[in-house]
Amino acid sequence: MFVLGFHFPASMGNHIPDELVAEKIADVDISDVKEIKLLMGTKERDKEWLSYTNKDTFLFRAMVHYFKEENPDRVQKYMIYMNRYQMSEISKRVDAADDETMKLCHNLDNMEQFRIEVA
Amino acid sequence: MAGAASLRQIAFYGKGGIGKSTTSQNTLAAMSHYFEKNIMIVGCDPKADSTRLILHEKAQDTILSLAAELGTIEDVEMEQARLWGKGLFDKETPGGWINCAESGGPEPGVGCAGRGVITAINFLEEEGAYDEEGLDFVSYDVLGDVVCGGFAMPIREGKAQEIYIVMSGEMMAMYAANNISKGILKYANTGGVRLAGLVCNARMTDKEYDLALELAQRLGTQLIHFVPRNNIVQHAELRRMTVVEYSPYSDQAREYKELARKIVYNDMKVIPTPITMDELEELLLAFGLEDEVDESQVGKAAEA
Repeated sequence: MFVLGFHFPASMGNHIPDELVAEKIADVDISDVKEIKLLMGTKERDKEWLSYTNKDTFLFRAMVHYFKEENPDRVQKYMIYMNRYQMSEISKRVDAADDETMKLCHNLDNMEQFRIEVA
Repeated sequence: MAGAASLRQIAFYGKGGIGKSTTSQNTLAAMSHYFEKNIMIVGCDPKADSTRLILHEKAQDTILSLAAELGTIEDVEMEQARLWGKGLFDKETPGGWINCAESGGPEPGVGCAGRGVITAINFLEEEGAYDEEGLDFVSYDVLGDVVCGGFAMPIREGKAQEIYIVMSGEMMAMYAANNISKGILKYANTGGVRLAGLVCNARMTDKEYDLALELAQRLGTQLIHFVPRNNIVQHAELRRMTVVEYSPYSDQAREYKELARKIVYNDMKVIPTPITMDELEELLLAFGLEDEVDESQVGKAAEA
């Protein structure tokens, strides 16, 4: 079973608890990231930049982890659809109290492509 | 069974037209190119389009057509029936390699297409194709669902051990996925076949991810990957290439690379738990793909 690209052994079944996914990203260093910038869309006229700054969430940590993984030059990175849907799915459960995050999750659920940068 | 103990035999099943051949070739190309896996593709579709992107050809000669042309299957030589991939997938190119065979089938309306699958696999086994040095994966690309016993042959005969069902959020694709799961269940205890995951070849319809995920969980398996729709797949196909070869740094190539990685490391292989037709319809209702039917209106024309 794969969640956010992490492999969980088959013996754990096909419902992986959110806490176990959160454990996988617990050690990611978010101290050097103030803002996550997401470029939504592919058509020039429809492209939109989204900003996300709430560091105290699962979603922020998951996105920073995704961005930094195999990206030593910290260049803009395409977001794999499945990963971002899974980020949104878990965030809607564990970050539900945060309106800014829920608004971003709503955007992440759509069919557009996303690219990620950090500042 | 022929082949090394470490050999993994996988199959891609799914509704006709869902994009099995495109998805399987792009995924296998990624497994070969990025993960250095050596692969034999056995196309089990009379259309014989399971290998064209790897071979850069319109369609290779099928085992059945060669047998018909030469007289009997005994007259067919391995070099005629099994071709080495071109470009990135050639045996001489660094990295993994891919070789390809197509079973072919009878003329439309005549005979049993499933027999072609049986003949092809027997031929390849007898000719030692499964014993090729370094072979890591055999992949069967199988037409339609398993309502025809002939197309269940790779499952039935214990050839394909891991089944990946290519589906989308459309009703008939989900119906076929459920049917294939029933076929796997039927042979799971005798042949050891297992469902290894659903691959959603997305139509980009509303709530498609949620729907595919829910179906996967009800079947007791995983949604192993959601492959978004991207025009670059068609652009690559026009050149008879996979996206991995046509544009290896494209976003879509990254999607196939991720699916390839998951298949390479996948250990979730389950006996599926198919659902009833009523449950399937409930699922579609719950995700808004069907409107609830007012029983009093069933059978009435729009303009009564």
